[in-house]
This record gives sequence, structure tokens and C-alpha cells, in this order.
Amino acid sequence: MAPLLSMNRISKRRPDKAREWLFDDITAAIDKGERVALLGASGTGKSTLLRIAALLEPIDDGELHLEGIAQISFKPEHWRKKISYVAQAPVMLAGTVEQNLRTASELHGTLFDEPLARRCMAEAELGHLDWKKPAAELSGGEKQRTALVRSLLLRPAMLLLDETTSSLDPTSKEAVEHMLNRWAEREGTAMAWITHDMEQSRSVSDQIWFMGDGKLLERGDTKAFFQGPSTEQARRFIQKPIEREAGGNE
Amino acid sequence: MSNLALVSTLVFVAITAFLSIRKKLGLEKDILIGTVRSALQLLFIGYVLHFVFDTRNPVFIVLILLSMIGIAAWNAGSRAREIRGIRLRIAITLACTEGLTMALLLGFSIIEPTPQYIIPVSGIVIGSSMIVAGIYLNQMKRELEASRGEVETLLALGGTAKQAIQGAVKRSVRSSMIPTIDGMKTVGLVQLPGMMTGMIVAGADPIEAVRYQMLIMFVLASSAALTAILLSQISYRLWFTKDVRLVQSPKQDTKS
Ligand SMILES: Nc1ncnc2c1ncn2[C@@H]1O[C@H](COP(=O)(O)OP(=O)(O)O)[C@@H](O)[C@H]1O
Ligand SMILES: [Mg+2]
Repeated sequence: MAPLLSMNRISKRRPDKAREWLFDDITAAIDKGERVALLGASGTGKSTLLRIAALLEPIDDGELHLEGIAQISFKPEHWRKKISYVAQAPVMLAGTVEQNLRTASELHGTLFDEPLARRCMAEAELGHLDWKKPAAELSGGEKQRTALVRSLLLRPAMLLLDETTSSLDPTSKEAVEHMLNRWAEREGTAMAWITHDMEQSRSVSDQIWFMGDGKLLERGDTKAFFQGPSTEQARRFIQKPIEREAGGNE
Repeated sequence: MSNLALVSTLVFVAITAFLSIRKKLGLEKDILIGTVRSALQLLFIGYVLHFVFDTRNPVFIVLILLSMIGIAAWNAGSRAREIRGIRLRIAITLACTEGLTMALLLGFSIIEPTPQYIIPVSGIVIGSSMIVAGIYLNQMKRELEASRGEVETLLALGGTAKQAIQGAVKRSVRSSMIPTIDGMKTVGLVQLPGMMTGMIVAGADPIEAVRYQMLIMFVLASSAALTAILLSQISYRLWFTKDVRLVQSPKQDTKS
């Protein structure tokens, strides 16, 4: 069977310097229900790669396939309904928390599953949140989790999570990890996480993709990756978490 | 107005130029160009109208209306040069607004079907619609800077182009209509509109002039609504690429 998402020799030029490649010749695939952690230093193009997979960013070369069908034969909105990107900086839409949570069902004319929404919010430790509250008034962490639940309720086949716990305290972070692990199990949703948190990447992924030097340098089993990465870059990357985060350009 | 009186109006140009030189505003060249252009353009249109009123041939009326629409569309389209095909959409919008408005005005016999009525009223309708279209485009550009996140969020949730841009469109339509509607609230108290003033100066009864001005105010409100809504409907897709991503805003924003 064809993988859920396959990327075939994807290349992308730098948005600022069009003559240089941000990355090139990236080939990777992810199966239904599979969980991937995408690692790499800041600025290597991890967000760009996920945005490409969600058709939010154009590619300069290569092909994308969803369940074996080429991207050009999809209406973009159908593709994005199946492969949904959750941005690192959450954007709350105008209106209340409830209106935000209802977005997917409003867009697609489907029934709003309120019990499911309540359960997800509770699992994300937002059970106490008043749904009538204007979403703009939420704290950063509350916004990030509300945006995540908003995307879950779309029930995509694959979720692209861009540092989705970056503004959460350790407790809520763990709650979100559990919620997403349970969700993936129940719904068979594939997930690709960008994270700078090695602990997290271990607990939420079956596979690691490691980006560096404009390439997808490593692609393999999570355990094997942490036991012994095959490239020098990856070895240095997992050894020096402090330096890596301090040297970020984001 | 006598020729001598007409020439004497140059005293106002002299005042403007004097102030510019005195205060080193550096506007003398623009003042000169503006003076010459407004004199030439107005004289030109005066003779054209004189000719059209004489011949009464409907072909000339249509030609004049079409060139008004063309110039207005070109002008308003400069607000969003980077959006391909915007001028054509504005031209279509202005033509529809003008066509519908005229059809109603003539159909209900509100104005007489003579060039003396059709051309000036059309000029007012097209000119004001041009301004509405310009404000709409400016506002959309601002929206798509400020609300990029909103649009992308909706796209990422599987929304269509129309669904994703709906909020930005609605806010821009509102902003483009507000000046016209505010104008309705203060007209006569704050400003005396040009057309009414002109009629009174030319000797018409002020009450008669006011009746026409009321007509114009209501026509302008409806043409503002028609223009903004029509333009938003036929142009929203232009803000997206073929594969429904927002078009990149130009790196160096051109002066608008
Ligand atoms: N809109 C943009 N304009 C200019 N440069 C950009 C833009 N988006 C991303 N970049 C650049 O592209 C590179 C990759 O960015 P990104 O994909 O966000 O990296 P990562 O998520 O791995 O940190 C960075 O160097 C960033 O500065
Ligand atoms: Mg990033």
C-alpha cells in the first residue's frame, strides 16, 4: 500500500537568497498512524518542510503524494483537510473560544462534536476554560492548546505540529503529549512533530527525521537514532542541547 | 463668467506658488503642472460635452462613459499593481455599477435620457466608485499584511480561498463604504457638495439644487455598496496563487 504522505526529491530555495538552497533533494514518507519527530538546528527549514507538506509554501522542485495520488490532482483544500498544519505561533480567529473550536465544522458543514471537544480540552488541561470567553484574551499557552484542539476536531489523517508545546509549562506539556499519543492511537492519525525537546521526541515518535546542512541527514527508528546516530552532525546535535538552543536564530 | 474673470482666477495659482516658494515647499513644479493640466483637461471635456450635446448621438455618450470607466479603473488599479488582472476586474465592476444605476435612474424616469443628465451623473457615479474601489484595495492590502495568520489558519483547516479570505473581505468592504455613508450624515452641515454649489452659482433655485443633491447622495450610497461588494466578489481569488496560497506581498512595498 502507498504511504500516507510521500515526499519525493523536494527542494526549496532560501526565501531571502533565491540562489541558495534552503534544502534540496529531500525524500521521505510517512505511513498512516506513524509518528515522526523532526529534529534539527533552528533555521534548517523544519517549519518550511511541514508548511510544504500542508501546501502552504511552494516547492521549487520535487513531488508530493497523498496515498499514492499526486498533489496536482487534489484540490488544495481537500489536501489540507487531510494533512493539517498547526503553526508554532497560534492564531486565534475572531470570536469566542467556542467559535474557534467550531471552525472546522463550520468550514466543512459537519456536525460539531461537542462531547469530543470538551474531552480534548479537558485532556489538554483546559477543562476550566469558559467557552464564551473571547479567544483573543487567552494566555499564550491557552491559545496554543486551543489551536491544537481546533485542528484535532478537523480529524485530519495527518497532523503537522510545529513546536506545539513551545509555550507550555511542563505539566501542560506532558498533558498535551499524552493527549496526542492517545489521539493517534484512537484515530490512527499520523503525526510529524517539530521539537527541540529530546525527551519529548523520544516519547512521541516512532521515527526521527534529522535535518542539517540542507539535507535530510537521517531517517530512522527513534530508539536506534538515540542509541547511535549515523552522522557526525546528529551526534553533535544530541550531545549539545544547550548550545543548540542558545544558538537558535528564531 | 467673462474671459477677464477667468484669467483673474490665476491669482489663486499665484498665491499657491508664492507660498510654496516662500516656504520652500518645493511644490512649484507640481503646482504648474497641476494648473496647466486642470485647465487643459477641463477645457477639453468642455468642448467634448459641447459637441456631444449638439450631435445627440448615443454612440458618443457610450464612448465617453467607456473612457471614464477605463481611466477610473486604471487609476484605482494602481493601488494594487502587483495583483494581476485587478484593473480588468475594476473596469467590469465600474461598468456594472454604472449600468445598473443608469438603468434605474432612466427606468424610473428620475432623470431625463439626455446627455446633459447622463454624462454628469455618470461622472459622479464612476468617480465616486473609483474612490471606493481604491479604498477597498488599499484596505485589502493592509488586511493581508495584518491578517495573514488568520487566512493561513483557515487554509490549514481545509478552508477554501473564499472561506479563508471572507473576514478580510468583509472588513475591507465596510471600510470602503464608511466614507460615503459618513458623507451622507454631514452633507449640507459641513460641506456643500460641488454639484449643488455649481447649480446654485449657475442660477438654479436652491431647493431644486438640493433635490438633485439628495438624488446624488442616495445614488452614491448604493453605488459604493455595489462597487465594493461586486469588486470583492470578482477579485478575491486574485489574492491567491493558482494552488490557493496567499500571494507573497512584494518585498519592497511600492508607494501607493
Ligand atoms: N518568510 C520568510 N522570509 C525570509 N526568510 C524566511 C522566511 N521564512 C523562513 N525564512 C528563512 O528560512 C530559513 C528556514 O526557516 P524555518 O523553516 O522556519 O526553519 P526552522 O523551522 O528549522 O527553524 C530560516 O533561515 C529563515 O530565516
Ligand atoms: Mg520553525
